[in-house]
Amino acid sequence: MFPWSPEFAWDATHIAFFGALYSVLATVALTLAVAAWRARRDAREGRAAAIAWHGDFHEMPASARACRHQLTGEAPGRVCENGFDCRHCAEHPHFEELRRHDATPDHADHFGFDLPLDRLYHRGHTWVRPEADGTLTVGLDDLARRLLGTPEKVELPRAGDRLEVNGPAGRVTTRGKEVRVLSPVEGTVVEVCGEGPSATLRVDPGGLSDLRHLLSGAEARAWALRELERLQRAIGSSELGAALADGGELVDDVGAALPRDRYDALLGDMLLEP
Amino acid sequence: MDERLVARGLTRAPFGRFLLWLVPWAALLGVGLYAAYLCLAVGLNQTNMDNRFAFGLWIYLDLTVIALGAGAFFTGFLLYVMKRRELAAVINSAVVIGFICYSGAVAILAIDVGQPLRFWYTFWHPNVHSMLTEVTFCLTLYLTVLAIEYLPLVLRNRQLKTRPSMLVFEFELHKVMAVFALVGTFLSFFHQGSLGGLYGVLQGRPFAYRGSFLAWPSTFFLFILSAAAVGPSFVLATTWIVSKVSGRSLVKPAVFELLARVSGSLLLVYVLAKSVDTLVWINHTSFQLGVHPASFYAFAPFGTWALFTEIVLLGLVPALVLALPRSRRDSRLLVPAAFLACAGVAVNRFVMTVQTLALPTLAFDSFLSYTPSWQEVASFLAVVAYGVILYSLSFRYLNLFPQERELAAAPEV
Repeated sequence: MFPWSPEFAWDATHIAFFGALYSVLATVALTLAVAAWRARRDAREGRAAAIAWHGDFHEMPASARACRHQLTGEAPGRVCENGFDCRHCAEHPHFEELRRHDATPDHADHFGFDLPLDRLYHRGHTWVRPEADGTLTVGLDDLARRLLGTPEKVELPRAGDRLEVNGPAGRVTTRGKEVRVLSPVEGTVVEVCGEGPSATLRVDPGGLSDLRHLLSGAEARAWALRELERLQRAIGSSELGAALADGGELVDDVGAALPRDRYDALLGDMLLEP
Repeated sequence: MDERLVARGLTRAPFGRFLLWLVPWAALLGVGLYAAYLCLAVGLNQTNMDNRFAFGLWIYLDLTVIALGAGAFFTGFLLYVMKRRELAAVINSAVVIGFICYSGAVAILAIDVGQPLRFWYTFWHPNVHSMLTEVTFCLTLYLTVLAIEYLPLVLRNRQLKTRPSMLVFEFELHKVMAVFALVGTFLSFFHQGSLGGLYGVLQGRPFAYRGSFLAWPSTFFLFILSAAAVGPSFVLATTWIVSKVSGRSLVKPAVFELLARVSGSLLLVYVLAKSVDTLVWINHTSFQLGVHPASFYAFAPFGTWALFTEIVLLGLVPALVLALPRSRRDSRLLVPAAFLACAGVAVNRFVMTVQTLALPTLAFDSFLSYTPSWQEVASFLAVVAYGVILYSLSFRYLNLFPQERELAAAPEV
């Protein structure tokens, strides 16, 4: 290239100057190529869902990423950095030891919505109930159902589909707004029971399932109270706040009481899709 | 109508009102594009520049927007290399502003240089003796880097991120962003410096000529320092403008304070360096070139007031306001100080470009005056219009300020 340029000379200054600039060009091109190659590999290995959750999780404000041990008091102010997957958290066992294990009440609890304590809860408002045959039943919790009201469209996985923890377990379109529902467990869907937001999935985890990342008992109650508080903040004080604050029943269709844009934001906040 | 493209939780004006906002800017862009066409098709006789006044409005404004656009590289450097995580709140906006500034500057340079179909000559047949070769290389490379840094923002758009291929590419690009931040810093240092060095080596223009420090004239370092100093101020000022125009809180006050602290500290160093440089130039360099420094200020309107305005009014004053904790916590002082700092770099580039060329250098020379033609003004205003349109689209459809959603949420009960 440069030898063709009449002013170019093979001296140290010219070589250093152009060498530096072309090294920069090569670095930019190489870095871009590496990113493209890795992206292709991620797509091939089916990591898109995990990456989507990673992006969504880090877009959420710190207040929405409170660690479960913040909710129960072992770690005040602690923010989760593990995508609500305590199985990969080095600190979780330590905080579990600190936690005072209250006797878990066996009756259903009520916070303006139902929170049966015979099951485990995921932070994205789904529940999991281990069945005697080793499968897991998965469904939307009562708060999520009341948020979604009567959806126009519910897309559920089909029997045989594979679910991953924090991967998509369906999409719901309600009042023209679309939101995805996170899967609380990993495994293969063996049966879809029912329709709409009340539908449940029976999932075969393919062996012993590790459910340490899910909430139960006193933790689930602390989380439900926190979620109510978040809901109250998100909807403000004028429309539904009074019903929540005085311990009343949450309306069946929260979306009916909210403007469209605020409803969209609320769905994203509560179902963890910012 | 376009709500599916707007990030969840962000409130934006109705689509009709947004279109109405874009109309005057689009009209300005149209007029400017026509002016640019005239300059390219008919020739540079459409401008009021000539062989003696070869740097005019375009080069002056190019230098200014390139200095202001330094906010992108410097914010990226502080965030990705120095790990100042608080600046994640403004990095997206800084990248968009940087991209607008640099792409606008390159577009104007293309009109100024002419012969756009031969753009590749500068890379294939570089004039190895010209500082502008280095500037051209760095500008185009850095614009490429800025485009790559802009890409993840676009790919995080609400609709695009639902496509797995876009999502994984955005994720992987984000992971290597520190490399681009470092490359951007390297390139910015060199082209900001070379733009300054360009004036410092003009031995035939004693007003601009400066002695060498290491291999470069002092203006090389002063341009780097001034750009790094006002870059954060420009990010602060633009964030404030966008916040006022949109009626939304975009970042937490602590972010403004950090930007002000960085900008103020660097501006203080710059003012000190510029003062020392000016004293050396007055007492040593100009006499060495056989010119009494007072003669530079004998031609109206460029009296010593210009020097005072540049160094004290638009340099020292904003530097002190931004650097002192008490004053930078007061938004009534903070924001005007950021604007003053930006005005300071604009005046500096004006002095280096227009005043340098206007002053006579030989005994038989006369003081030159120059007024830009409407084509020059219109083509530059087109860049402003392009910037407003691109920023408006980015603000509407991309998540430029990650803290906006949190700040918009109802107050704690």
